[in-house]
Amino acid sequence: MHMEKEKSWGDWIRELDDPAKTREKPEALDHITVLDVSYANMAGCFCTSTLAEFGANVIRIEPPDGDPARTFTPWGYMHMGTGLGYLNEGRNKHHVTLNLESEEGQEIFRKLARRADVVVETFLPGTMDAWGIGYRQLKELNPRLIYCALYTYGQFGPKAACGKADVDVVDQAYSGVVSVSGEPPEDPQNPKSSEVPTKQGNWMGWYAGGAWAAVAILAALHYRVQSGKGQFIDVSPAEAYGRCINYGITYYYGFKATIPRVGNYDVGVFPYTYFKCKDGFAFLSGFADPNWKALCTIINRPDLQQQFPTIFERLNVDNMKVMYKEIEKWTMAHTYDEIFDAVMDYNKNIGQGVVVPGRISSPMDTMKAENWWVRMALEKIDDPHYGEVTIANHAHKMTETPPRVKWICRPVGADNYYVYAKMLGYGSKRLEELKEKGII
Amino acid sequence: MAREDYFKWAESVLDPSKTFEKPEALADIKIVELCTLILGPSLPAYLSELGATVFKVELPGMGDTMRSLTPFAKFFNGAAMGWLKEARNKYHLAIDVRVEEGAELFKELVKRSDVVVENLRAGTMDKWGIGYRQLREINPRIIYIALNGFGQWGPYLERPSYDAIAQSESGEAWISGFPDKLPMKAGIWLADYYGGLVGAVGVLAALAHRDRTGRGQYIEYSQAENLMRAMDWTWLYQHFTGKCRERYGNRDVSICPADIVPSKDGEMVAIGAATDKQFQGLCQAMGKPEWAQDPRFATHLERLKEENAVELLEAIRNWAATKTYAELDQLASQHGFGAQKVSNGKDHFEDEHLRKRNFTYYVDDPIYGELYEEGIAPKLSETPGRIKWAGKPVGFDNEYVLKRYLGLKTKKIKYLKEKNIIGKWVDVPPGRKPPERWDGKSGLLLA
Repeated sequence: MHMEKEKSWGDWIRELDDPAKTREKPEALDHITVLDVSYANMAGCFCTSTLAEFGANVIRIEPPDGDPARTFTPWGYMHMGTGLGYLNEGRNKHHVTLNLESEEGQEIFRKLARRADVVVETFLPGTMDAWGIGYRQLKELNPRLIYCALYTYGQFGPKAACGKADVDVVDQAYSGVVSVSGEPPEDPQNPKSSEVPTKQGNWMGWYAGGAWAAVAILAALHYRVQSGKGQFIDVSPAEAYGRCINYGITYYYGFKATIPRVGNYDVGVFPYTYFKCKDGFAFLSGFADPNWKALCTIINRPDLQQQFPTIFERLNVDNMKVMYKEIEKWTMAHTYDEIFDAVMDYNKNIGQGVVVPGRISSPMDTMKAENWWVRMALEKIDDPHYGEVTIANHAHKMTETPPRVKWICRPVGADNYYVYAKMLGYGSKRLEELKEKGII
Repeated sequence: MAREDYFKWAESVLDPSKTFEKPEALADIKIVELCTLILGPSLPAYLSELGATVFKVELPGMGDTMRSLTPFAKFFNGAAMGWLKEARNKYHLAIDVRVEEGAELFKELVKRSDVVVENLRAGTMDKWGIGYRQLREINPRIIYIALNGFGQWGPYLERPSYDAIAQSESGEAWISGFPDKLPMKAGIWLADYYGGLVGAVGVLAALAHRDRTGRGQYIEYSQAENLMRAMDWTWLYQHFTGKCRERYGNRDVSICPADIVPSKDGEMVAIGAATDKQFQGLCQAMGKPEWAQDPRFATHLERLKEENAVELLEAIRNWAATKTYAELDQLASQHGFGAQKVSNGKDHFEDEHLRKRNFTYYVDDPIYGELYEEGIAPKLSETPGRIKWAGKPVGFDNEYVLKRYLGLKTKKIKYLKEKNIIGKWVDVPPGRKPPERWDGKSGLLLA
């Protein structure tokens, strides 16, 4: 005990939470069974990946010819018959097929749901209900069931029945985030086609939707521990992502104006942006008065501090442009490493105020940086079917029940024999019959 | 008819107007927050919407730096808008935890709580004697999450970080924006809000473990690593092809069609079809039903090929330019593809759908007055999320919390105030004190 106290904090905690030891530890959710009937929707798939990474037994149910999401992949690139977007979110799940449009398929689903803890689905609202396998019907069979439906416009409200499809780009557009992201026109008379509201490059709407769904499901699970009651959960990925907005509605309510697009500036913080440097781009900040003074000291421009002394001067967009140009003169004269060293040297040795430096990294550079491999944020795993792959792990390093990836994905229907035997006692003969009838 | 019946039923079980008649999922959970800015504070804010009691601990006087952060330095009734949204539902305490008696108070709170959330530099809490190493001795059931840029150990240990650095060093900025522009920083603090959100998943998973075993645990969490997890096919693509993922503007190169294009009436409209059926609907709407059978477009894998995608997206862009958003919206409903105009704060404020769903949420706050904000994301039938109040000035709830939860005597509280162990707001800079029009009483729980 005495020795332990003498360890530095970093060494002490690493011994307890190092992801290299993950596989020696138990899993938080290995008592939970999840049925995932997501269809052409990565929000549902990401939600159940997350639950599976924390240990849940996830049964991924696809139509007999596979989920269209298996073709969500850049320029149609396929790896062993599966697209890369889906391959990445098949994690730890058992993949079965089941035709939910057939009565026999619905009956099998009911049997599975009777013994499940969680159902996740992404059909147009009312689809599962019309098939007789919505929450309304399933709760009669299993009152402890937690049922989460994801759809852009949700399960109620004036737009819920609109029938429009849930696609990530649509969720991003409705969220409000796109309206404040991207470059404003340099010349308002002649805006370029790249100077428009801009989405995130990844499926950010779907990922935010999946994350909120996981939070809601886990909260419902905790409530069930005491109450014994399941419940119905309605998540709109657009709203889930919109909850991440800094201040859109309040600003409009308070000032009858909308937050403009200001490119890489921030209407609430300056400087807090990316600058060109000799060999790439550097991020620099210096917002609060002492931090601004620190930045001006580092770049040897005390005049700037005098010219823009308070946040009221620094949060004027016209002033931002002036300050930006002046700071960029300094960054352009240095390499990223020189900038980083100068700033960190100031922080360490002078330390009045803090300037935070960073690099804009291409994902290829990110993949080459040692840090992420040491911390196992990135990991190469050897999948039994798909071979060696590079994945990003969930960020949580946990002392007791860390998340983990055991396998990356499974082919369509690969686990039919295992899951149907284990859950329902179906043998080969029964499965052959179901196959012939097009049920699986 | 069946569908109408479904919507009636769904509304009846999810009806937000009945929220306060129902219980809360996390009503038994208490969280102590020692955080600044957004990454840390958003996590307890999310869980507070689901019922957790949150004690936000700030330093007396200035409090959280975030209290300064507001667009164009415009304050809303004395509150910084960057701070306001994540201040909801919390008890606001100001304790100087850097001195021993303050640290003792903090420990007393932790003894009676379930979760600790902090986002300080690695090792700071440990140095102050209130890190996980110390707190697990006084409360082995505690779930402790530390969120920051790069974690508690590793090559980047010394580096401070912000949201924008997580966006840039993960590669997220590089893959966002147009090819002829700089890598794009999101117009929101993406790595912070989304970081707090996925951090909450870890806390709730730990809670599920504790519900079964009684054991707490420590969670280390890097927001940059979290964004990397959300970058979908990036790592597999680079692994298999050896090529770097670049940025492609508003076009989704993995789902076709999916893009954002201008309508006749000047709206920017996201249009997408993720399945063959949705695509067939879009072809119908465009008056090109034959395209659904055209070998270039008949299957998704064909549509995704560069030359086919470029042609298809160009045709959609030209077609959309001849339709108003209302027409595109109506066609999308009729034919089942996706179409949605890029919405802003005004659109959200005026949207009856989002109001009905408690996303656009009305708060009648005793201190900051009436306001609307981005409200509740998930709708739960048994335990719906809610906002009870918007936020409080620095140290506003000191007396109430110290008395109700720690049982301190009035004399002791007075002593702590005199010794500046606890305290209230300063008048300058703005954002700390109550608004000008505050009557000196409203919102006070124990004077």
